[in-house]
This record gives sequence, structure tokens and C-alpha cells, in this order.
Amino acid sequence: MKSIVLSGVVAALLVFSGCSSKEPAVDEQAMNNVEEVQATPAQEVAPVATETVSGEESVVNSSTNEYNMDAIENKLPTIYFAFDKYNITPEMQEKIDAAAALGKKVASNFKVKLEGNCDEWGSDEYNFALGLKRADAVKKALVADGIDASRISMVSYGKSNPVCTEHTKECWAKNRRVDFKLLP
Amino acid sequence: MKIFFLLFLYLNIVYAGDATIEVIKKAESLPTIAVEDASINYNDTFKLRFFKSLVADLNVLSLFNVDRHHREVPYNDSDVLVENKDMQYVVRYKLFEDDNGAMNLQMKLLEHDNVVFSKNYRVNNKNIYMFVSHAIAYDINNYMGADSVEWMKRKVIFARVIAPKQSEIIISDYTLSYQHAIIKGGFNLFPKWANRSQTAFYYTSLDSVTPTLKYVDIKTASVKSIISSDGMMVCSDVSDDGNTLLLTMAKDGQPDIYTYNIKTHKYRRETTYKGIDVNGQFMNKNTIAFISSRLGYPNVFMKKLSTNEVEQVVYYGNSNVSCSANGQYIVYEARESSNAFSANTFNLHLVSIKTDAIRRLTATGVNEFPRFSKDGDAIIFIKNYKGQSSIGIIRLNHNKNYLFPLKSGRIQSMDW
Repeated sequence: MKSIVLSGVVAALLVFSGCSSKEPAVDEQAMNNVEEVQATPAQEVAPVATETVSGEESVVNSSTNEYNMDAIENKLPTIYFAFDKYNITPEMQEKIDAAAALGKKVASNFKVKLEGNCDEWGSDEYNFALGLKRADAVKKALVADGIDASRISMVSYGKSNPVCTEHTKECWAKNRRVDFKLLP
Repeated sequence: MKIFFLLFLYLNIVYAGDATIEVIKKAESLPTIAVEDASINYNDTFKLRFFKSLVADLNVLSLFNVDRHHREVPYNDSDVLVENKDMQYVVRYKLFEDDNGAMNLQMKLLEHDNVVFSKNYRVNNKNIYMFVSHAIAYDINNYMGADSVEWMKRKVIFARVIAPKQSEIIISDYTLSYQHAIIKGGFNLFPKWANRSQTAFYYTSLDSVTPTLKYVDIKTASVKSIISSDGMMVCSDVSDDGNTLLLTMAKDGQPDIYTYNIKTHKYRRETTYKGIDVNGQFMNKNTIAFISSRLGYPNVFMKKLSTNEVEQVVYYGNSNVSCSANGQYIVYEARESSNAFSANTFNLHLVSIKTDAIRRLTATGVNEFPRFSKDGDAIIFIKNYKGQSSIGIIRLNHNKNYLFPLKSGRIQSMDW
């Protein structure tokens, strides 16, 4: 009986190792003959940088105003998020409360743009949406703290606006963030 | 009983070995081909560059064992070179410059010393020589009766991030040998061909206050704004007739998929889930595949337009973040690790909605942003590994992958 069980186990092991699903053969060849060619068969489109941004074009009344905006912006927090998440943690909620307080006092003349960002993992279309949900979570928290929703706009940059590019967990944590930018 | 078990073991060992043997046999049985250079103009560097491009293209066809020796011979010699006399096929070509300065090429394909196919090519500018080599490979592929490789002749358009909030949009060939920055300066992403003939494209501009979808006519170099949306604006796909776009827009910070008619300028919301819905891809005129986090994690779904019928497509994995569709087939990007603290692996998988078959297409590294070619023969994708960004091509029917590295910058998104 014992020997039958033993040979059965051995048979089972051999069956499972011998009949494991075969992965399709992946043959990867790095093509080294890549050369950059400066050809101009198509007309080059005028750089988008020549387009004006209405926000930046608006006239600032005095240099003091601009100085104040920069000084206040430096006091605004950066809100960080966990891997693949867009919910606000209690620690981050405190930072948002402080930002809302600023928004109601010294920054009451300004609007704010919330910029959502992600770490380097995943395709950028999904990351743009994730960054936006992060910005939206911060917006909802600011509105709950009494900031007028019409003062808040949002944008996402996905993973294309990193503050660091090292492939380390510290850098990834720094990129999973929402930034505050003031607008006049 | 013991005899039964021994017989059982023996049979399993014998049959377990068969699949591997079959693959090796197939590789060894490919016909051999050599390339003979009969060029009479151009310097040695350029001649060698063209030769290497043609050899690489013939290799990608996956129909031949390609001999890589560069050998020169007069075009009208009746016999192939003695070194090539055992080759099943020989491609002989002659590059020459005509009186207008244009690059001309005469080509003939010999099978055991008999000319079986010949063709002439001409381009005004020798700097786009690689498109001639792609055309030669395409024509030889057609002559051999193999599945179409029309994608080889098509242009790829991609966004390259060169610094935070700075990018370029570049048009290239599939090997990245040819590159032309069509949009420079500013922060412009997600380019998408507007038509099959590749004479126009859409892209997202993030330079103005609101993300804006723009349309570029390549021939006239004109740019026009199509539609803006707070928060996010991406053109994920264009219908075959070019009249309907699948957009991801985010009114009030809520990313959803919309259809947009370019003639009526009207859009219609297609998804209503409160989380993330992105990356709509036409499967046919009335059905789309897309990525949604409605199950608590990103996954692949399909939906009939103008209805509420949503169906889950993939039942494996816990994070499937990008997809592309070609008829019944969907290729998607699966995160195969959930680590916030070390490098993650993303691999591409192919699924059919008609069968239960799933096939893993890549094995290692970070493989993102898959896109089917129009003819369904190949998938292009972005591979990022150790700071090097590359375009990858998967030949689905040949089970082969090829990588073409980008010298600098990171490929953010692309289309072909």
C-alpha cells in the first residue's frame, strides 16, 4: 500500500513537472542599428510654446502682489498618496486643513490649481486619471473645509511631471502627490 | 500495478518532451537568404547603413534565415556570388543617384539563380532610405505569400518626455532609424493618427489653462483646437472611418469615456461609474473595450455604445491598466507584482472574447501601452528597462519580439 502511494506521488510529481504549460518562446533582440536622421519631408508645426496661456498673460497689478503669491505658494503643502490609491489619509487631512486656512485668509485673493501626479508605474492614460482623482480628492476636502469650489481648478500630469527619477521607493513616494499652484 | 505506474511515467516523460522539440525544428527549417549589394553611388558608410537596414527588415519578416555578410557584386552578373551559391534566395539591389539627385533602387529576388521577382524604387531624399528598405521587405513578404506586414511601411507617432512638463511629438519609422520632431516645445502628449493615410493627427496640449485636444494637418502644418476639458483630455481611439473619436475627459474631476463626432462636434458620455474609466478602444463600430476600476482595481471591460451593457473581459490579475483591441482580440497590460517598495513587472497578455484563450506575450521587465497594428499582425508597445526606453514589436503569428531603443528621453505614449 505504502509503495503504491509513494509511486503514485512520484508519478504525480513527474506528470506535473513534465506537462507544465509551455510559455511561448520570446525571442528578444535589441536592434543596435538605430540612427537618428534629421529629415524634413513634412513641414514642422510651429512650437506650441508660442501659444499664450491666458492665466499667465493677465496683468499683475504690482510686483508686491506677485511676491506675495510666491511666498504664500511656498507655504502650501504637498499632499502624498499610497501606491495606486487616491484617498486622503488622516495625516494628509491635517495638511489640507492648514491649506484651507491659508486659502481663507492671506490667499483669499487667489485661485488655486491642484496638480495631480503619479509614480512611474503603469501606462500614462490610466495614470493621468489616477492623478486627477487624487487632485479631486484634495478639492473635495478643501470644499468641505469651506473653500469655494469655483476657486479651485484641477489638472493631472500622470507620471510625466516627476520631482525625481531614481528607481527607489523614496522617489516613488515623492511622486505620488498633489501640488498646489496659486493663480491670480 | 507497478508495471502500470512505470508505463504511466514512461508515457508522460515521452509526451512532455515533444512541444520543445517541435519549436526547434521549425526554426531550423527556414529558407536561407543572402543580400548582395550592387550599388554604384554613395559612400561606403551610407551603403553599409542601407544594407544593415535591409538585413534587419528581412530578419523581422521571420520567413528566412538571413545571412548578414555584406558582399558586393555587379548588378548584371548572371550568377550569384560563389559564397551565396547554397542560399535558397538572394536579394540583389543597386542604389544609384539619378540626374535630379534622387535616390533610386533596382532590386531583384533570385531563387536558385532564377529571377522570380523584381521592382524599382525611388525617393527624393536619401535620408528616408529606411522606408525603401521597409518597402522591399514588404514586397518580398507579399511575394512569399505570407501574412501582410503593412505595418512595416507605416509611420509611428510618439510623445517623448525630455524633462518634467516638457515633451516633443515625433514621427518615426518602426525601427526609430528615422525620427522627425513634428511638435517641439511645450508639454504635448498622447498623439493619435487621425486617419489611415497618416496625413493628420490629434494630440493633447497641456500648455493652456485647460487640457485641449488639437488636430494637426501634416501637409499644411495647420493646428486647430478641437475640444477642451478641465482635468484631463485624451483621444484614446479613432473609428475606422475617422468620424468618431473615443475621448477620456474629466468634467468635474471625474474621468469618463465619451464618443465625439467630429462633424457635428457633439459628444456623448459612455461611462458613468464614479471611479476611473479610461482607454476606450473600438472593437467594432458599436462596441468598445476599456479600462475601469469599477471592481476596485483597474481591469478590462467591454461595452456596447449607447447602452448600459458592460461586460468584464479579463478574469485574471489584480491590475490591468492599459488595453488595445483588434476585432475579437484584446491585448492588455497586466501588473504582475504589487510592490510599492521594489521594481514592478508589467507584462502583455492577449485574450480573445470568443474563446477562453489567454496568451502571455512578454516575459520580463516593464512592458506598457500596447497597440495593435491596423492589420492585426503585430503589436507595438513601450518597454522601459533600467532607464532605457524602447519600442517593442511583437509578431503575433511568429512568436517573436523585437526591441528598438530610443537614445534619450522616455516614450510616454504612441500610435501607429
